[in-house]
Amino acid sequence: MNEKQKYIRNFSIIAHIDHGKSTLADRILEYSNAVSKREMEEQLLDNMDLERERGITIKARAVRINYKHKDGQDYVLNLIDTPGHVDFNYEVSRSLNACEGALLVVDSTQGIEAQTLANAYLAVDCDLEIVPVINKIDLPSANVERVRGEIEDVIGIVAEDCPAVSAKVGLNIDQVLDAIVEKIPCPKGDADAPLKCLIFDSHYNSYLGVVVYVRVMDGTLKAGDRIRLMSTGAKYDVVEVGHLSAFGLEKSDSISAGEVGYITASIKTVSETRVGDTVTNDENPTSEPLKGFKEALPMVFSGIYPADGARYNDLRDALDKLKLNDAALSFEPETSIALGFGFRCGFLGLLHMEIIQERLEREFNLDLITTAPSVIYKIEKTNGEVIYVDNPSNYPSPDTISVAYEPTVKASIITPTEYVGGIMDLCQDRRGIFKDMKYLDSQRVELHYIMPLNEIVYDFFDALKSRSKGYASLDYELAGYEPSNLVKLDFLLNGEIVDALTFIVHSDKAYARARRIAEKLKDNISRQLFEIPIQAAIGSKVIARETVRALRKDVLAKCYGGDITRKKKLLEKQKEGKKKMRRLGSVEVTPEAFMAVLKLDDSDK
Amino acid sequence: MRKLGAYIHIPFCEKKCNYCDFYSSPCSEGVRDSYIEALCKHIELEAPLYKDYEFDTVYIGGGTPSILTPNSFEKLGKTIKKHLNLTQGAEFTIEINPGTLTLEKLIAYKSQGVNRLSIGLQSTNDQMLVSLGRIHTLKDFEESYFLARECGFDNVSLDLMYGLPNQTLNDLIETLEEAISYQPEHISAYCLKVEENTPFGKIEASLNLPDEDFEYLMYETIVEKLRENGYSQYEISNFSRAGRRSQHNLKYWLSQEYIGFGPSAHSFFCGERYSYKPSLSEYVESLSKDMLPVKQLEENFEHSLDKMDEYVMLRFRLNDGVNTSEFYKEFGKEFAKEYPQIEQFVRSGHVNFDGEKYFFSTKGFFVSNYILTQILKF
Repeated sequence: MNEKQKYIRNFSIIAHIDHGKSTLADRILEYSNAVSKREMEEQLLDNMDLERERGITIKARAVRINYKHKDGQDYVLNLIDTPGHVDFNYEVSRSLNACEGALLVVDSTQGIEAQTLANAYLAVDCDLEIVPVINKIDLPSANVERVRGEIEDVIGIVAEDCPAVSAKVGLNIDQVLDAIVEKIPCPKGDADAPLKCLIFDSHYNSYLGVVVYVRVMDGTLKAGDRIRLMSTGAKYDVVEVGHLSAFGLEKSDSISAGEVGYITASIKTVSETRVGDTVTNDENPTSEPLKGFKEALPMVFSGIYPADGARYNDLRDALDKLKLNDAALSFEPETSIALGFGFRCGFLGLLHMEIIQERLEREFNLDLITTAPSVIYKIEKTNGEVIYVDNPSNYPSPDTISVAYEPTVKASIITPTEYVGGIMDLCQDRRGIFKDMKYLDSQRVELHYIMPLNEIVYDFFDALKSRSKGYASLDYELAGYEPSNLVKLDFLLNGEIVDALTFIVHSDKAYARARRIAEKLKDNISRQLFEIPIQAAIGSKVIARETVRALRKDVLAKCYGGDITRKKKLLEKQKEGKKKMRRLGSVEVTPEAFMAVLKLDDSDK
Repeated sequence: MRKLGAYIHIPFCEKKCNYCDFYSSPCSEGVRDSYIEALCKHIELEAPLYKDYEFDTVYIGGGTPSILTPNSFEKLGKTIKKHLNLTQGAEFTIEINPGTLTLEKLIAYKSQGVNRLSIGLQSTNDQMLVSLGRIHTLKDFEESYFLARECGFDNVSLDLMYGLPNQTLNDLIETLEEAISYQPEHISAYCLKVEENTPFGKIEASLNLPDEDFEYLMYETIVEKLRENGYSQYEISNFSRAGRRSQHNLKYWLSQEYIGFGPSAHSFFCGERYSYKPSLSEYVESLSKDMLPVKQLEENFEHSLDKMDEYVMLRFRLNDGVNTSEFYKEFGKEFAKEYPQIEQFVRSGHVNFDGEKYFFSTKGFFVSNYILTQILKF
């Protein structure tokens, strides 16, 4: 270890959503003068609009802070931000691997939540020094001592002298910085050894190409070096290296062991630079890549279609652009008889899906129709073949299926005790298998369930929130495939299957779901000149039926005093509405009707 | 000489009805007088524009035109006759609200050449009339009606409404039979449409309105009952004895020209559609300075109907529908080729084709907006 490394601290901040991670990051930057107050945009680290609005950090970012400690030494503190949601668990773990320590922020009014625990365990797994920070102590309902106790009892780390702060008003931030310097170990690693860098993030810049964010574990890297990405073997010539300031990239001659920095090397897409991959020097490579690399695999799939079919190309361009910065997003063209041309998109999880949909609508100004989210089913066919199905329309016919499997998750739910009953009912109803229940303290409980992912992807999170007045929190991880009694449910309008509405459901729930959706279709399809039968069917067996009656009246009876304009306006408005309609065989359906049908509400339970 | 219609708007009533969203409101006699002043000024100032035209219809609508005093009306009537060239025997209609009519008023109408009355009966059921917010009873109507007949008015139209809150099919049949028993020359039957910003609009959910299937049943009943009794339908909501169609209203559907006077009145002249702003005060103020009120040209929409679409839309309000040879004469194109979507509605029985003209069936009329949005090209 060289002299320089002694004064470097690499750390992350981990927290449950809304516990104040980003605000604390801002205060740390501000306090250490990395950013002056005046120059600072609120929550600098979250630099996507959507992140700022939703108060979540979607993609990791890093920033270098110069801090003069009270011991008189200048320290370099590298803050590596982590995504705060379960969907991005793998990315979180890679960010943590780039650090020696983590600040665990806990809201003093809420206490430990599901993601607090999940993140803390991840940090422990990465051998990080955890420094608890109790936040929001300016609020009247703050209970610092209770939360201190909770951290010690539940997580098992000493919290006796941990900083208690208010990031919002900037109280006791100095104690946090001191704790970083004093408690978190300096990075190890040998600057003269063969190069070994961990990629913890990357992002696409239209001038520089992909900017790769790395933590140098061993060795030294400078511009002109030829690097190799160990998972793919791809080689690039380094154009530039440097550090990450609060205002962007700061070019430097080299980066070496212990440091956090960036590399540009004329790389075209972020998919080439996978998070967790190891960068080494092509001429003097390291013998072993860093452990733990895996590809981010999508778990949830949904069809995304432009509401206006003419905007298919716009949608493709938008997805291409998002993909530049989001290696976890996958998409391929898909054609639906009902919805026309669109894309089958794969996401890490539900939040990831929502974020992508929202960014498509907001940043690219697209109106979308999205089909119900689906998971990947594993099917053992009678001929011995094993297939994976992510699109319900491709589900094989029952007589060719030997065993069907669905993915399950280990769900951990933390809730105030008074909601336990309602939440247990909910989990039961969603085919959850109860594992255990642990009291965190006298008021809060942690529940563990094994649940089919397919039951979570619909609206489980909303239902959980509504049954707990918003207090319950959820975390989940994949727990493998289980055999299941699944059926494919089709919907027919006027005798024709609407492929976009087909989904896979557990056979016990097929009838209730079929009836409910048939009713919703009935309520949302406007009357046409003929009667429209709606049927829900498993194979050729119809299990629910509704009818949309024929349109009888659509007339402007009175057209007074020669006011032809009024009649024209009315017709024009009607025509506008009609243009948005999707034609399903002989039936016209508005995009809204699709959405309404797909959105299951509380009464669907 | 080219022909024109005149529409004159009287934006006053004694009390606003619960369903009404036309430009009209109660106000004092003083305001009414200054309005008639302005209206006459308007006609006078604009008349030179129409010196090469003849007016073969005049329609005084509202509001409640029969609220005007005999003196006010005479002033208006004289101005019309003095400045607009009326043809010999021009159809001259005034709308009447039962309960506002007197012998003196009828005499004034007669003296100014009014030869057609349109009376707002709406229903023969007093309870129904109260719920609509009408100011009259069936008895008031009968008094007005018979008084008009005694004064020699031999061309009278009755307005009826259906699809009313709590209205049963029997209620409707009763109203129809009673209306027929008065032997009017013309009957208009309009389906209640609950508009926003009306008292009904605010309480729509609690109104117990018939559903659309029931409304259609009522419409079918009206069409049949009136036909059986010698009233043939010529427009979606209009029925008449032979030779008694409303010449003025027909102008709207036949794309003929008409000139509106008064706030909110609409005009179609020299290929342009325009209207006056629905503001009584601005109208009166502008004319008090000898200035014509500002014309609001019809807005241009992105997907606006062109002349051909407009023609089709208007003609299809009539039982005569679109005559293919007239269409060819007008546009030099074949209707069936221009509007190929029409065929599916012929097949479904919503549109009839007799080899010469396409016209809506009764059930077609009642979904005419839907059909038009399917067939028009805009």
